[in-house]
Amino acid sequence: MSANKENNLVQAYLELNKFCQSSDYERALKAAGKILQIAPNEQKAFHCKVVCFLQLHNFKEALATLTNAKNSALAADLLFEKAYAQYRLNSPKEALQTVDSAPELTPALKELRAQILYRLEQYQDCYNLYRDLLKNTTDEYEDERKANMAAVVANLAALNPTSELPQFD
Amino acid sequence: MPPPMEAIPCKPLFFDLACNFVEFPNLDDKTGATDGKKQGAGLTG
Repeated sequence: MSANKENNLVQAYLELNKFCQSSDYERALKAAGKILQIAPNEQKAFHCKVVCFLQLHNFKEALATLTNAKNSALAADLLFEKAYAQYRLNSPKEALQTVDSAPELTPALKELRAQILYRLEQYQDCYNLYRDLLKNTTDEYEDERKANMAAVVANLAALNPTSELPQFD
Repeated sequence: MPPPMEAIPCKPLFFDLACNFVEFPNLDDKTGATDGKKQGAGLTG
């Protein structure tokens, strides 16, 4: 890469970083696109582009970008983003396949997997996963996670009113 | 004649927490923000 091109790339990333930090997703999307024009194999710019689409709730475009055969190398590590787009596009089966194709169940994939199982009405598996998540996660969303767990228990109870309910701890 | 009213369970609240993991990657290595900071702690440092 020529020194000039490298310098342009750093400048473009500085601009992208600025918009990322101010959550200006429209401008960040343009900045990421600019980088990919100079250097089409920039994985981080590609990642940012996909995050922008997701943040702008353009799930269709996010998924199309990730599944475009041209981008397969760039998209290989973005399984969470792909599964999240599929989940939001109401394709929970495909989303689950994507999650389970990942080499490792990261915390993000775990959280998403629980939501997908809920959507698929696999409440027992979902319950087990939320138990694990509640025990092993400390963040600012613990109340919301407990609410999700309560929703799972409510569905389990509705399906099988006579069964012994899982205990809430 | 409408049928008599009947109580039904409400739809439980369910939050999308996975959306909090949709985050930008760290771009420090691309913007040069790490240059000069952590040097000296490398393999040879």
